[in-house]
Amino acid sequence: MVAPAVLIILAFSIYPLLFSLWVAFVNYDFQIPGHAFVGLQNFQQVIEDPLAWSSLGLTIALSITVVVIEFVLGLALALAMVKTFRGRGIVMSILIIPLFISPVIVGQSWALFLQRPFGPADYLLSQLLGRQIQISWVGEVPWVYFSIALADVWQWTPFMFVILLAGLAAVPPHLYEAAELDGVGAIQTFLYVTMPQLASVMLLAVTLRLLDAVKLFDVIFMLTGGGPGTSTYTTSFYLYQIGFQQFHLSIATAGSWLFLILLSAVIIALVRRLLKAETA
Amino acid sequence: MAKAVPSLSARSARAGLARVLTIGLFVIFVLVPLYWVVITSIKPSSDYLTTPPVWFPAKPTIVHYTAALFSYRGLQGLTNSLIIASAATVLSTLMGTMMAYSLARFNTGGRHLSLWVLSQRFLPPVAIVLPIFLLFRTWGLYDTLTGLILAYTFMTLPLSVWMMFAYFQQLPKSLEEAAWVDGLSRWQTFWMVATPLAAPGVAAAAVFVFIAVWTEFFFALILTSRHAFTLPTIFRAFLGFQGAQYGEACALATTSLAPSIVLGMLVQRHLVRGLTLGAIRG
Repeated sequence: MVAPAVLIILAFSIYPLLFSLWVAFVNYDFQIPGHAFVGLQNFQQVIEDPLAWSSLGLTIALSITVVVIEFVLGLALALAMVKTFRGRGIVMSILIIPLFISPVIVGQSWALFLQRPFGPADYLLSQLLGRQIQISWVGEVPWVYFSIALADVWQWTPFMFVILLAGLAAVPPHLYEAAELDGVGAIQTFLYVTMPQLASVMLLAVTLRLLDAVKLFDVIFMLTGGGPGTSTYTTSFYLYQIGFQQFHLSIATAGSWLFLILLSAVIIALVRRLLKAETA
Repeated sequence: MAKAVPSLSARSARAGLARVLTIGLFVIFVLVPLYWVVITSIKPSSDYLTTPPVWFPAKPTIVHYTAALFSYRGLQGLTNSLIIASAATVLSTLMGTMMAYSLARFNTGGRHLSLWVLSQRFLPPVAIVLPIFLLFRTWGLYDTLTGLILAYTFMTLPLSVWMMFAYFQQLPKSLEEAAWVDGLSRWQTFWMVATPLAAPGVAAAAVFVFIAVWTEFFFALILTSRHAFTLPTIFRAFLGFQGAQYGEACALATTSLAPSIVLGMLVQRHLVRGLTLGAIRG
């Protein structure tokens, strides 16, 4: 019964990974027949490329920033939504909309919304602040970073929100009743009752999100194209450029392996944690 | 200085206000860019550059939809996306349900197999897409519907396996045990007893798989070019767009986001399970 699924995963994951291990050690080129073994040269190329490091730096900085913002906003929303009220169902449906939209379209939509002269963002800001605002949202540092983070926060805050809300709803009500009887204040109740109960759900939500955030590609592709210059290259975008725009396939493959090795510790820890939840 | 302690009702009023503000602001934040895209898709081109911006076009038009669908090959992208997403959904859900059942009931392969399947979900796409690209070129699967269907079946298997695994674990075993006692084989039990019981779970998993495929961009970008391209990849045409295509980009975006949002609303109840691969029941 497991055979078909296992076969597909073997064909699309293990085999390609083994194949790519070979590609990483040769000079793979469509033009040149016979792929000469070059040892660690491809890896060396990546390690010596300053752009590889700066894109990795941006990937890490951007991932941590957006995940922290999404976590704080998601938690605030979850706390606000945990009690029932009239129209909660409709509000809930609106809040989760971004989760069902392709990240490419999210990037495209924010580009359409922010970019002058067609987007209304500058006009809205001018009205709000009472003075003329003209910002090059997708063409100028540091605004590009803001725009990328904005699109990511827009799309993924609901992710944190939904998971944290489920965690909040699972806190046994008698704990709150006990706290209330003891006259504990709202902030203390949150710190000493809610937080410990929610800790494992928080950890899960943050790790899941972080592992997806480091893959950031689509929004960059649509919103900034890595620019201006190379200032918004993330690791995924960098490897894509090397592999599919410059066709240095072997170098890109070597870089992918290094990236995978960097991530694997986090992946293994998360998977262990997920499995524990399943069997519990 | 002694500050007046706010009465309980004043405190809860303020808390209520904070709640309303938090929720209200976020609802606006979610809706404004979406509204802008949808409304711009039906604006005549003369409304693009006005100050203040036009929020309610006086003369809505569908001209951008026809242009997007017919001049930008949107129709073919839409058809491809429908075929690919449907086929991958069927394959992934079928294989995923079988595997999940086996893992949940017979503990096939033990922890290692489970661990291995689950970790596939977290592989960065950029790490596996390069070799898949090279292999697809040799296998003749590059830029074909079949190739993309297989790639997406692989990509979504962890999702369908783990959603169904969590579902089967919740189902009581007693009916299946009764079926074995009555002499049904494992296969018969699976098809005639377990799967019908798990039907709501299968449906939810299928919808999540469909949405995941429908919205995917990276694999499609790299594994297709002129024939098997999907709807999201058409947005490449609007990169560094000139003003003239503003409405077309919006029309295409609306065409693509509407179906997945509608489907998403149908499985709202299962959302937490879908997002956490079954780790939280929600």
